[in-house]
Amino acid sequence: MRAGERAHTKPSAAAPVGTGVAFENVSVSFPGQADHPPIQALDGVSLEVPERQFVSLIGPSGCGKSTLLRVISDIVEPSEGAARIDGRAPRAARLAREIGFVFQDPALLEWRRVLENVALPLELAGVATREREERSRELLVLVGLTGFEAAWPRQLSGGMRQRAAIARALATRPRVLLMDEPFGALDQITRDRLNMELVRITEATQATVLFVTHSIREAVLLSDRVVVMSPRPGRIVSVIDVDLPRPRSLATRDDPRYIELIKAGAAELEKGYSHHDE
Amino acid sequence: MTSSLRESHASSTESWPARAWPLIWPPLATALIAGIVWEAVTVIFAIPAYFIPSPSRIWEAFWGAPGTLLWHAGITLLEAVIGCLIGSFLGALLGTAFAYWRLLSRGLLPFVIASNTIPVVAIAPIIILWFGHGIESKIAVTTFLCFFPLALNMMKGLQSYDRVIMDVFHVAAATPLQRFFKMRLPSALPYIFVGTKINVSFSVIGAIVAEFVQADRGLGFVIMTTYRTLNMPRLWAALIISALIGLTFFAIVSLIERFVIPWHSSMRTET
Ligand SMILES: Nc1ncnc2c1ncn2[C@@H]1O[C@H](COP(=O)(O)OP(=O)(O)OP(=O)(O)O)[C@@H](O)[C@H]1O
Ligand SMILES: [Mg+2]
Repeated sequence: MRAGERAHTKPSAAAPVGTGVAFENVSVSFPGQADHPPIQALDGVSLEVPERQFVSLIGPSGCGKSTLLRVISDIVEPSEGAARIDGRAPRAARLAREIGFVFQDPALLEWRRVLENVALPLELAGVATREREERSRELLVLVGLTGFEAAWPRQLSGGMRQRAAIARALATRPRVLLMDEPFGALDQITRDRLNMELVRITEATQATVLFVTHSIREAVLLSDRVVVMSPRPGRIVSVIDVDLPRPRSLATRDDPRYIELIKAGAAELEKGYSHHDE
Repeated sequence: MTSSLRESHASSTESWPARAWPLIWPPLATALIAGIVWEAVTVIFAIPAYFIPSPSRIWEAFWGAPGTLLWHAGITLLEAVIGCLIGSFLGALLGTAFAYWRLLSRGLLPFVIASNTIPVVAIAPIIILWFGHGIESKIAVTTFLCFFPLALNMMKGLQSYDRVIMDVFHVAAATPLQRFFKMRLPSALPYIFVGTKINVSFSVIGAIVAEFVQADRGLGFVIMTTYRTLNMPRLWAALIISALIGLTFFAIVSLIERFVIPWHSSMRTET
């Protein structure tokens, strides 16, 4: 329902059934250190994200948020269960270049100028020089980095680097955009600004978004749904539907419903912390 | 923001003599002052020329036979350059194999390290025995010396890539070849230059040491023969030429480095 709400703000055909991102009973365990037992990073996680929905993942450190993104992007293989993108294995989607990933660290290539950094995924996909340059310039406009095409990454501020990383993740027009605490290292004002730009960008790109954050405010402000997780073992505690009107703006924060949802989210988050006190 | 960026670009597009001058005049001044003090000391204390020749005596010795000295220097330079190129290339190949093939590096690295601790004067006679009395054996000694620094730095460099960047390449479905050329090799470049800079100094040492052991030409040969006849000003002249060769070599590599990795933090121009 929420997805439908969001869909009518964007021109596109109705999504066929079974599209989007799905986790089916996904478990991931990592071998423990020395004498310790294996670490159960994810334990039987099931989640369906319809196409073009924006879902935030929130929870205490170590609850498996990053692992979830790494499973869907084919970096980590689940020990049990399966992940699907439009009904296919993550590997197929990755090889079809349908996944964009923004990491907490912008991870720009310091030996490339900003424009070539943004163009990297296109270059790896064998797109012709002129075409990828054109597309990269478009993306730099989209993320507000016009004029910095020829700058070196080290000449950019943290926020600008993260914008470049977002542009790079969008280069191949991915169907799924994964963001792992992309604004974690930024100050509040910059973060607010980038949040609003993210609203604009994701509405323009039509991608399904999985967004990891430690801020319940950010999660509620941006998402259609907020998934609250708890650690040891990593599980989903609850899923909160965010029924705030779109398009979102900073004014959304004055909506009484926004405050309510944050309180509800915070309460669920509490549980995640107290559940497995050690 | 844009304007400050433009400013930094403007300052880096200044004509090169203007930018190079602050780097050139201090060492020139040092050389000039040292030369004057040196000259004065040898004159004031009447130091015999075979003990410490004065700069003017060395200058005379050089101009006494500039052609032959430069010809010998050319031989040494040739040996050093070719040995440095071959050694660096082979070292880089092995370093690459080490970085990709752990079993190989485990099995072979200890011996490569061990071979590197052998003094070059000890290995030079053996290599000369193998490669004969010509220029080839001098090149071989230099190659031997230049092998290790690049093997080790290449290996370290190729392993120094950022894990998150590796994930970026993985998600973007990069091929192994793309990973090598667009990620691991660029990350290794700063290390490759460290190794190469070590090698340019080593190569001059290698060539001269090899000439000490056996040669009828080259700066090592000049140093050896002038020592026997106690023609010390000429020996010092040869010595200074060899130092200048090493310095020029190093400067060339540094210049190339500036063009190849302008993005690297070591290239930031501090004032
Ligand atoms: N490669 C790995 N090897 C071993 N253990 C791992 C690995 N990756 C993750 N883990 C473990 O899995 C658990 C979940 O990790 P994950 O990084 O997914 O947590 P997270 O929710 O993203 O935490 P944070 O909020 O701190 O980023 C942690 O206990 C972590 O130690
Ligand atoms: Mg994480």
